[in-house]
Amino acid sequence: MTNKTTDINVISRRARGNILAKLKAEVGGADYGKLPQETAYVYPECSQTDNIAQFISELEKNHAQVIPTTKEQMAEVILEQLASLNITQLLYGEKLDEQSDYHREVIEALKSKVTLQPYDFSIDNNKNRLFNECPAALSNSRCSIAATGTIVLWPDENEPRSLSLVPPVHFVMVDAHKLHADFARLIEAEQWQDKLPTNVVLISGPSKTADIQQTLAYGAHGPKALIVLLLNS
Amino acid sequence: MKHVHEEESKYAASAKDFRKNVTRDLANEELRANFRGAMDYLMDKRKSAFSSADELEVLREQCKLIKQRCLAKLPHLLEQLEDKLEHNGIKVHWAETVTEANEIIAQLIAEKKAKTVVKGKSMVSEETALNDYLEARDVECLESDMGEYIVQLAKQHPSHIIMPAIHQNKQQVAQLFADNIDGFEYSTDVDTLIQQGRTILRDKFCQADVGISGVNFAVAETGTLCLVENEGNGRMCTTIPDLHIAITGIEKVVEHLADVPPLLSLLTRSATGQAISTYFNMISSPRKQGEKDGPKEVHLVLLDNGRSQAFADEELRQTLQCIRCGACMNHCPVYTRIGGHAYGTVYPGPIGKIISPHMLGLDATTNLPTASTLCGACGEVCPVKIPIPKILLRLREESVKPNREQPQVMQGQGAGRSAVEAIIWKIWAQVHKSPTLYALSMWCLTRCRFLMPKKLAGWTSVRTAPKLAATTLHQQIKAKQAKQGRG
Amino acid sequence: MQPVNTQHLRNYPKKPTQVYLFGTCIVDSFFPDSGMDAIELLEREGIEVIYPQGQSCCGQPAYNSGYKEEAKAVAMAQVKQFPLDIPVVVISGSCGGMMRHHYLDLLSDDPAINNFCQRVFEFTEFLVHVLRLKPIDQGEKERVALHTSCAARREMGVHITGNKLISQLANVDLVLHDYESECCGFGGTFAVKHADISAAMVADKSKHLVASDVVRYVSADHGCMMNINGALDYQKESLRGEHIASYLLNRIKGQSKAQSKGQSAKEAL
Repeated sequence: MTNKTTDINVISRRARGNILAKLKAEVGGADYGKLPQETAYVYPECSQTDNIAQFISELEKNHAQVIPTTKEQMAEVILEQLASLNITQLLYGEKLDEQSDYHREVIEALKSKVTLQPYDFSIDNNKNRLFNECPAALSNSRCSIAATGTIVLWPDENEPRSLSLVPPVHFVMVDAHKLHADFARLIEAEQWQDKLPTNVVLISGPSKTADIQQTLAYGAHGPKALIVLLLNS
Repeated sequence: MKHVHEEESKYAASAKDFRKNVTRDLANEELRANFRGAMDYLMDKRKSAFSSADELEVLREQCKLIKQRCLAKLPHLLEQLEDKLEHNGIKVHWAETVTEANEIIAQLIAEKKAKTVVKGKSMVSEETALNDYLEARDVECLESDMGEYIVQLAKQHPSHIIMPAIHQNKQQVAQLFADNIDGFEYSTDVDTLIQQGRTILRDKFCQADVGISGVNFAVAETGTLCLVENEGNGRMCTTIPDLHIAITGIEKVVEHLADVPPLLSLLTRSATGQAISTYFNMISSPRKQGEKDGPKEVHLVLLDNGRSQAFADEELRQTLQCIRCGACMNHCPVYTRIGGHAYGTVYPGPIGKIISPHMLGLDATTNLPTASTLCGACGEVCPVKIPIPKILLRLREESVKPNREQPQVMQGQGAGRSAVEAIIWKIWAQVHKSPTLYALSMWCLTRCRFLMPKKLAGWTSVRTAPKLAATTLHQQIKAKQAKQGRG
Repeated sequence: MQPVNTQHLRNYPKKPTQVYLFGTCIVDSFFPDSGMDAIELLEREGIEVIYPQGQSCCGQPAYNSGYKEEAKAVAMAQVKQFPLDIPVVVISGSCGGMMRHHYLDLLSDDPAINNFCQRVFEFTEFLVHVLRLKPIDQGEKERVALHTSCAARREMGVHITGNKLISQLANVDLVLHDYESECCGFGGTFAVKHADISAAMVADKSKHLVASDVVRYVSADHGCMMNINGALDYQKESLRGEHIASYLLNRIKGQSKAQSKGQSAKEAL
C-alpha cells in the first residue's frame, strides 16, 4: 500500500483526452441530420375524471393512502390520521403557512392539536434530530402524473429534500388541478429543461423493496407510509 | 501498485473459471429453485406491465432510436454534459480504467478525511471492485440497497443486476442475519428482516461522511443525474452525507430531458413490471445557498473500462444501448439454470456475455459467448432492441479468428481458437460446398454407420446417441425417381 | 439486421405448381423419412417437388461457431442449387431462419441474395400461408403437444403456423406444456461445448413434455427432437416427438406413425 497522493486531476485530464479522442475518431463527419425519425407511442387523451381515477388507482396499487379532501377539511383529516397512528408531532416546510390563506389556516388548526416543528434548521448539526425525533412530515407538491400515480416534489430552501425522505410518515398535499397525463407531457408543458432545481423527486408510493425472495415489504429506508391529501374542488 | 492489479483481475479470474462455476452451481438444487422461482416471478411481472403489444413495440423502437442517437453523438454529449454539470457546480472526473476510477474516488474521500461511506446500488462500482479498494484503505464502505446489503454481509457479489440477492431465499437471509447481527433472533418474516436492515442502515445514513451512487441517465441538456429506485437508499446516499460521488459508464448520457420519460417507462416495466419506480431522483446541483440539506459537493466519475472498444465497432456498439433492466437475464434459460454467480463477471446473463468481453478481454471470457443456444429470448425482450444473439455470434467469430489477423477489434482476439477445430471446419466446408464430396461422404457414412460410437462425449451422458439412417434422403429420392422413370 | 418473425409482413405468393425442397443435413443423414413424408404431403396437394441432389447443409453449424468464411462458402454453394424462381421449402425452422434471414448478412455481396431469401419458406409457414392447407383429420382421437424450436419461433413464427395446422385436426387435442416457449437446450455445438447446461435444460423440457400427458409431441425441427427424444429414450420414457410433416401426413391418411412405417417409437428417434 502506498501513501503517495495521486493527482487525480492529472489522471482525469489524460483519461478525458484519450476517451474523447477515441470516440471522436469513430463519429467524425457523421451527419446527424440523417438520423432516423423517432416516433413516440400516442396514448389516448383521457378526461380529467379518468386521470384522477387513474392517479388514485396507481397510488393505491403501490400502497399509498389517498384521501380526497377539501381545503376546509384538510387539517381535520391530517389530525385524524395522526391520531390513528399515535403521532403527536409533525415536521413541516418552513413558510408553508405563508403560501396562502388556506395553508395558514391549516397550520393554525394543526398547531392547536399537535406539536408542529417547522423545518427551520440546517441538516448539518441536526441529523440525529431529523432521523430520531421526527415521526411524520407534511409537504406540498408541485404537480402530479396520472399515468403512473406519481407526485412531483420540487424541494427548495423551505421544503428540503429530506422532509419527504427521513420521517417515517409522509403527508403530501396534492392539487388535482395540477394533474398531468404522463411524465412526457408534463416535461413538455412545464418546459423543465430550462429550470431544473437542485433536486426534483418523483414519488409514487411509500418506500419499498422486494429484495428478499420477491416479497414486497414497505418502509425499506424512506417513509413507511405515504398519505396523499388530494384536493379536488 | 500490485494490489491494484489483483483487484482488477478478480473478475477475469472468476470468469475464466466459468465451467467450474457452472458445475458447482448446477449441482446446487436450492440455488436453482431460488432462480427458477425468481425468474418466473419477474417474467410474469413484465408480461402484465404493457397495455398492448403495439405499445411495447412502438416504445422499444423509440427507445432503441433514442439510445442510438445518443451514442452517435456520444463524445459531443459527454462534453455537453460536463459543461452543464460544471456550470451547475458538479465536478466531473474521467477514468479510462477501473483503477483510475478507484484512485479518483479514494482521493476525493481522503481529501475530506472521511472514514465512512454509504453506497446506493451501483453496478459500475462493482466493476471497479470499489468496496475492496476502499476497505484496503481503511474506509468503511457499506452497501445500503437491501439486496446489496445482504450480499455484502454474505461476502458475495450481486447475482443479478436489479435484484442482487435473488440467489438467496428468506431462510438463508434469516440465517445470515442471525449469524452476523448482534441480537437478531432468527426469523423468516420478510418484514422483520427488512425492518432490521432499516434500523441498522438508517443509523449509517445519519453518520456517513460520503454517499456513493450510480446513475441511470445523465442528461446532457440540463446537467442532471437521474436515479431510479424503490427503497429510498439512493435518495439517502445522495441527500444526507456532505459529499456525494456518482459513478457511471460513459454510455449513460442522454441528449435531452425529453428522452428520459420513454426510457424510464421501459426500464421499470422491463425490469420489474412497475409502471414507475417509487422514487425517480433528478439531481442537478449540490446544495445551494440557503438550502438546508443536500450534499455540499457532488462529483461524477465517468468510466470507460472497455466501452470505447465496443463503441469503435458499429455492430458491437449496440451493446452500449443497454439501460440495465435485467430483462434479458430474467428470460434467459441458461441464466435461469446456472444463476448469476457462475458467470464470474459483474454483469451476468446475456448482457454480461456481450459486455464483459470488452471489460475483461476475450481471453478471460472466451467461454461466455458460446454458453448460449442462441434461442433469442433475450433479444426478444430487450427494451432497446440490442440484437444480443447476433452479437454473441460476432463475439464467437472474434474469439476463433487467428489472433494476429487485422484489424483487431477486440482485446483477446483469437483466444477461443483451436487449430484442430479450425481444420475440422475447413474440411467441413470443403465437403459441404462440393456436391460430389458430400455425396461421397454420405455414402461412406451410411455404409459405416455401425462404426458410429454409442458414446459421444457430453451428449450421451443424458441422452442416447442418434442413429444414422441406412439410406439418406438424397439416396431415397434418387431411388424413388429411378422407380418412376424420372431423373 | 435483427432477425424477426416476419410472417405478418410477408407477401405470400399464389399456390405454385413447383417448389424446391431443402431437406437439411440432419434429415438427410438421420431422419430421411421426414423428408419423404414432406414430399408426399406436398405432392398430394398437386405440387411438383424438386429436390436438387447438390444440396447439403445451410451452413448454420459453422456460422454459429464463429467460422463465418466456412459458413459462407457452404451457403453460396446451396444458393446455386436453387436457380429457378420458385419457392424453396425448408423442413426445419432453424435452417429456414438461417436461409431466410442470416443469408442476407452472410452473402450480402451477392446482388441476387435478396431474391433468394424472399423465396425461402419454412414448411408449416408454406402449408398455412401459401397452400392454405386445410388438413382433413382421419386419425383417432389423441392428445399431442407442440414443441417449436427457438429459431423457428422467433425468426419464422412457426409456433403460430404449427399451432394453426394442428388445431385444424378435428380429433387432435393440442396441449400446451409448461414453459412451452422455453428452449430445449440443443443449440447445435452448445449441447457438446456446454453439455452440463444443455443437460439441465433438456431434463426440464422432457419433464414438462412428459407431465403434459400426451401420446406424442410434434415439432418442425429435428435438431430439438434429436435432443429431446435422445433424453426421453435415455430416461426410458415412452414419449417421442414426431416431425410435423410425418404427423400431418399420417393424420390425413388415417395412420399412426407406428402403423404407417412399421417403425417402433424407438427407431423413430
